[in-house]
Amino acid sequence: MANTTLSTSETVEKPKSTAKPRKKNRDFKMNNLAGYLFISPWLIAFLLFTMVPMIISAGLAFTDFDTLSNRGNFIGLDNFTRMFSEDPRYWRSVNATIKYVIFSVPLRLSAALFIAMLLNTPRRGVYFYRAAYYIPSMIGGSVAVAVMWRQLFGTEGLVNAFLMILGLDQPIRWLGNPDTAIWTLIILAAWQFGSPMLIFLAGLRQIPQEFYEAAEIDGASAIRKFTRITLPLLTPIIFFNVIIQMIGAFRTFTQAFIVTGGRGAPLDTTLFYAIYLYNRAFNSFQMGYAASMAWVLLFVIAILTAINFKLSSRWVYYETDVE
Amino acid sequence: MKNSKIVILITTMISLLLLFSVNVMAQDQVELTITWWGSQNRHDRTIEVIEQFEAEHPEIDVVFEFSGWADYWTRVNTQAAGGNVACIMQQDYAFLTEWASRDLLLPMDDLFASGAVDVSNVSESILNSGMVNGETYGLSLGTNSQVYILDADAFEAAGVELPAWDWTWEDFETISTQIHDALGIWSIAYGPWDDANMKSVLLSDGQWLFTDDGTAIGIEDSTVWIDHLNRIHRLMESGAIASMEEQADVSAPGLEGSPIVEGTEAIRYQWSNQLVALYTAAGEDRNFVLYPLPRVAGGQSANYLKPSMFFSITEGCETVEEAAMFIDYFTNSLEANDVLFAERGVPVSSVVQAHLAESVDAVTASIFEYIAQVGESASPVPPPDPAGWSDINTNILYPQYVEPVLFGMLDAADGFDFFVEESDLILAQNAQ
Repeated sequence: MANTTLSTSETVEKPKSTAKPRKKNRDFKMNNLAGYLFISPWLIAFLLFTMVPMIISAGLAFTDFDTLSNRGNFIGLDNFTRMFSEDPRYWRSVNATIKYVIFSVPLRLSAALFIAMLLNTPRRGVYFYRAAYYIPSMIGGSVAVAVMWRQLFGTEGLVNAFLMILGLDQPIRWLGNPDTAIWTLIILAAWQFGSPMLIFLAGLRQIPQEFYEAAEIDGASAIRKFTRITLPLLTPIIFFNVIIQMIGAFRTFTQAFIVTGGRGAPLDTTLFYAIYLYNRAFNSFQMGYAASMAWVLLFVIAILTAINFKLSSRWVYYETDVE
Repeated sequence: MKNSKIVILITTMISLLLLFSVNVMAQDQVELTITWWGSQNRHDRTIEVIEQFEAEHPEIDVVFEFSGWADYWTRVNTQAAGGNVACIMQQDYAFLTEWASRDLLLPMDDLFASGAVDVSNVSESILNSGMVNGETYGLSLGTNSQVYILDADAFEAAGVELPAWDWTWEDFETISTQIHDALGIWSIAYGPWDDANMKSVLLSDGQWLFTDDGTAIGIEDSTVWIDHLNRIHRLMESGAIASMEEQADVSAPGLEGSPIVEGTEAIRYQWSNQLVALYTAAGEDRNFVLYPLPRVAGGQSANYLKPSMFFSITEGCETVEEAAMFIDYFTNSLEANDVLFAERGVPVSSVVQAHLAESVDAVTASIFEYIAQVGESASPVPPPDPAGWSDINTNILYPQYVEPVLFGMLDAADGFDFFVEESDLILAQNAQ
């Protein structure tokens, strides 16, 4: 009964709200305009400093534009043919970058998930730990952390000192040895797990507690609970994190620039794509070539992301899909 | 009604913008901008000279920007792309052609001819060192040369005699091995494969890295170069020279923590204008002796007197007259040079040089003496590096030739042709 009265009162009021359609429309427009005005600082900056440079760089990719003299001629696809067939350093940079992405993304995500699960338990001081584990990511892109990393992995650094206590007799030259240098950067990336961790944490808290309770009653082990409840329900979050972290890893710059000196040393094993691109633009003054490199990277990332989305239907489980 | 709201909003925004953008334009001072790279020591001295200059010329307001070497080039390269480099910029021999050939610098010949910059006490050869394609684009701020610093105490401890003034790379190898065997330290941590050093090996053999017009690699007989790289690799293998893996440790601490200061190397490679800083870092009780670069067997001097750095006036500078006044002051004023104190190399003006010789300390005197001594037998200064050289150096020579060879992954003779081919390509492109 109560329901019917409510619905009738609603129908009564309806004509009232549609009484002045024009006025409402104007208000709507007015509100939109105010909205645009409020976001205009961002909008203008985005158009000026992101859109315009992107359009320019798309044009530059087909020129031999010189960074110093600000001049260039149209050279068609020369930059791209040179990149793919005549520049061995380009392929070294691709190799280094792919290796970095393949190892750093899973490592970082596993670390993030592991810590997130630890922090998802109601323990004393858990809020403090959440903040503490997030700190490396907040300062992660900073020069200071990279400088610290350089010290840690230096020949007389903390890592070697520790290993020598454990019985290593010769210090390892982490940064000088072509086999190990990239690993210092991969480990650095793994250590900066804070932001995916927070996202995992949010995801974990959304998994209904009843599932676990039911599983416990059925006598499921912790591992079984993890593989049968946690992982499947977390797949959308994992998927999101994989995409974001993969894009970030492809574009990595600061850490390598500082830890291994910004020239890809030793033997171009840490010559990440963005580092090489930067060197081409500002040390060799080949802005045209650098621009074409940037666009290739954009397309590769776009394609990989698309593939990821395609594959996602096979392993990502959305609760809303069911029924 | 609603329109008036927008009008009010927009007018407020515009008026706010105007308010912020209207500068106090009514300045009666002329603004002169200047930028340089260097150490803290250089910054302090240069700023003091700028203050002196401003005191003498109250109508000129000097605005300056400084940084270390690597940051400097990152900054000015970006600024050049945006067309707002400082009016006076410190230039380097390695980049002078690169900048001048792109019309980023103004020729200074007229300023010299009119006497706006007085160069009457500067020798012809020094003036010519700032020339690119027949026009002068920079005035040298000091004379410089490469130097091998020998730690006499380490030599004595190892029981090795100091070599002859015209020592060769064979001598160097013998000495290196002896020192390493006796003391277990490096003979040298970094240097013999530095690009300037590698070029000097060619110079000693009567060759040069580039052809005269700078459009191709000019090495006619590659034997000395290949021998040289093989020799370094040998010494790295034996531990007498710091290996490639150890380079990250060697270069990280900078001049103050350099191996010779720490006592872990007996010889150090350096440009002579950095000696003051090195001596300061090492302390007074050290016993350093200055030697020229080793020569190839039977060759001429591997050293040349190089302008340590230039002042250049950049394209688009609107205060050329004031810039000339400042450069003139920097070059010729005795007061200014009392402060600068040959920190940028031995002063180019003979009058200033004579004036400073009376007052310098023992370290600077030894540098003056070294430069004079090198000058007696020095090879003529090779032309500035052609456009494209920095590309070759960063993308070809080091990562694709020298580094793999010294890591033992490439044979020096096998890689040579590839290096020449790739470099020729770049030089030809830049010559167009």
